[in-house]
Amino acid sequence: MPGRTNTPQIDGCIQIIKETMMQKIIRWFLSPGGITITIFIICLILVTIHKGPYIFINTLITGGMWALMAVGVSLIFGVMNIANFAHGEFFMIGSLVAYFLMQPMMKYLQYHPNSFLIYIGPFLIVISGAVTGALLGVLVERVVFKQLRLRNRYNWLLNCFLVTIGLSIFLQNSHQLLFSANYKGITSYWSGTVKILDVIISIDRTVAFLMALVTMTALFLFMKYSKPGKAIRAVSQDEAGAKMVGVSVDNIQMLTFALSCGLAALAGASLLFMFPSYPTVGVVPLFNSYFIVILVGFGNVAGAIPGGFIIAFFNVLTRTYLGEGWELVLPVLLICLVLIVKPSGLFGAKVKTMLEI
Amino acid sequence: MINRHIEKKQGISKLLDSLCLSPAGAIGLVFLLVAPILPFPPLNKPYFHRLLILAGIMGIGSMAFDFSSGYINIVNFGFAAFMGIGSYTSAILERRYGIPVPVTMVCGTVVAALLGVITGILSLRLRGIFAVFLTWFIGLALFGLIINLDWLTQGRQGLPVNTLFKPGTPDLVYYYVLMVIALLTWYLLKRIVRSPLGLAFQAIGQNLEAAKTSGINPALYRIINFTISCAIAGLVGAYYAHYVGIIVPDVLSTQKTVEILVLVYIGGRGSLWGGFALAFPFIYLTEMLRSTLDSLPGVNLLIYGVILIAVMIYYPGGLAQFYKYIADKVKPFLLENRLFTRDRHVPR
Repeated sequence: MPGRTNTPQIDGCIQIIKETMMQKIIRWFLSPGGITITIFIICLILVTIHKGPYIFINTLITGGMWALMAVGVSLIFGVMNIANFAHGEFFMIGSLVAYFLMQPMMKYLQYHPNSFLIYIGPFLIVISGAVTGALLGVLVERVVFKQLRLRNRYNWLLNCFLVTIGLSIFLQNSHQLLFSANYKGITSYWSGTVKILDVIISIDRTVAFLMALVTMTALFLFMKYSKPGKAIRAVSQDEAGAKMVGVSVDNIQMLTFALSCGLAALAGASLLFMFPSYPTVGVVPLFNSYFIVILVGFGNVAGAIPGGFIIAFFNVLTRTYLGEGWELVLPVLLICLVLIVKPSGLFGAKVKTMLEI
Repeated sequence: MINRHIEKKQGISKLLDSLCLSPAGAIGLVFLLVAPILPFPPLNKPYFHRLLILAGIMGIGSMAFDFSSGYINIVNFGFAAFMGIGSYTSAILERRYGIPVPVTMVCGTVVAALLGVITGILSLRLRGIFAVFLTWFIGLALFGLIINLDWLTQGRQGLPVNTLFKPGTPDLVYYYVLMVIALLTWYLLKRIVRSPLGLAFQAIGQNLEAAKTSGINPALYRIINFTISCAIAGLVGAYYAHYVGIIVPDVLSTQKTVEILVLVYIGGRGSLWGGFALAFPFIYLTEMLRSTLDSLPGVNLLIYGVILIAVMIYYPGGLAQFYKYIADKVKPFLLENRLFTRDRHVPR
């Protein structure tokens, strides 16, 4: 029956449409992503019972910021096909800006201790760090990647990766040249602690987590409903198609790069109390964001959020059970395993570049 | 006129060709061999010999790196880790079991090669950027392991080892041994590249589907390529360890890979000699910059970064392409003036 070869597929589609809410949930639980998240949550609960609630809190708080970094990497990869090795350097720039804005503010607060800046100042600093990162992202995109795009499209992905390596060397060493290699850090944005579930955590960490949550929500709304957000999604799905319906691909790529760099700088600025600014501060965030991105699949923006928590949990777990120093080794081996067994990531993203590299 | 460039090599150029050297390459090599014994101020200083050796090590490393990145188009981003594994294997065997150094260097080479086989097998399914990530992560894992297994490697303190020759041997001896290794490496790699094996590598690197269609088994060739490249990395790493006398985990870091990668890509990918030729002036100039511009730390690496970006965007062929451009301009001139009689017209 040559005419009826497509029917099983069509039947399948109709079944999927007819499926109830319950069936949908069950199907999600049986997908690789669902299984991973379920296992992660079970492990998290078990370890929390075994070792105390600080595991849970630590995972949540560092995971949020790693997720922000990974979202940036994913966005750039999805829209521009660039695997950004210099992403950690934008984290460094965020923390640098925050440090240099924090200095005069602290001096001002010494003389005006009751000023409202004590509450709102750090927010302004973090936002200005993010904006600086985004502006620098625009500059880099125009000066480097646009030129490369105009000249040489052959072997694009690998060439871009090497260009970003050059960019990373450049930014790290200009930091060292201009601001020296000292640790430039602060002890805290807001002094004081809060107590959640018998764990005493500083306000800084809580606020950093909340900021990550707010940023992710804002990013989600932006991507889902705003016009530029829709255009970004269109370009990441099909560049030629987006061009045909009148999206200015050039500008969208610039916007994406700026957005991603801004997110990295925001993470850097809001974690200044944990990571003092020095030339190679971005290395650890870079590694972590790549672990996340490969775990969930390249170009999968939404998956980066649970991925951030999973990697943070894994780091906390390794540190708790094996001690300091091993947190680089075991997650790396896990990610190697993922790369070998399922290179498109656990959450089964559609990676358009996987086969055309 | 059409047959003009059909070459029949004779005499000295035939000899050079059998050594896989072009006349310009031979001149460069002779210069490298003679340079440290010339009695000019910068050339006969001990620190200059040291720089030459470090540059030679980087240069051989970049040849091996280019062998996989320029031919099968797989960038081995954990390259420094393979060098480091070679040096740590050799050092540990020498320290713990008292095996003589040349034997342990061979052991280091073999271990790095085995690791290359394993990495090659693991990365078979991956292409391009994903293979980069896999090799990068394997390198990171090895780096972490070396730091953490401090009962074996003494962690970040570094592992002191015996040198290859007796202490007090002048650096010149090390330099000439290194040059012999470099020449052998060059001969081996160039021989492979010229053979059908090399053709298969290029086919895989340029278009995997087309290579498969013409009956090339990419898995086998990729593993062969990785093994050779990693074996050379291990050998060089072991040599480095037994030259310096102490190794620290930082030799495995991504930073070292990046240094070699920059050399390869500025030197010209797929040329094999580009990175090696560039290593000597580059290391010398960056050292000079670092020592003269003491007040500006990091300016040498900053220039590195800018050059890498500029080369990648504006001149993807690097030094090798530039050399070819110059040679194409100069050669006809030399031929017409009968100054340069390598290419003779062969009557049919």
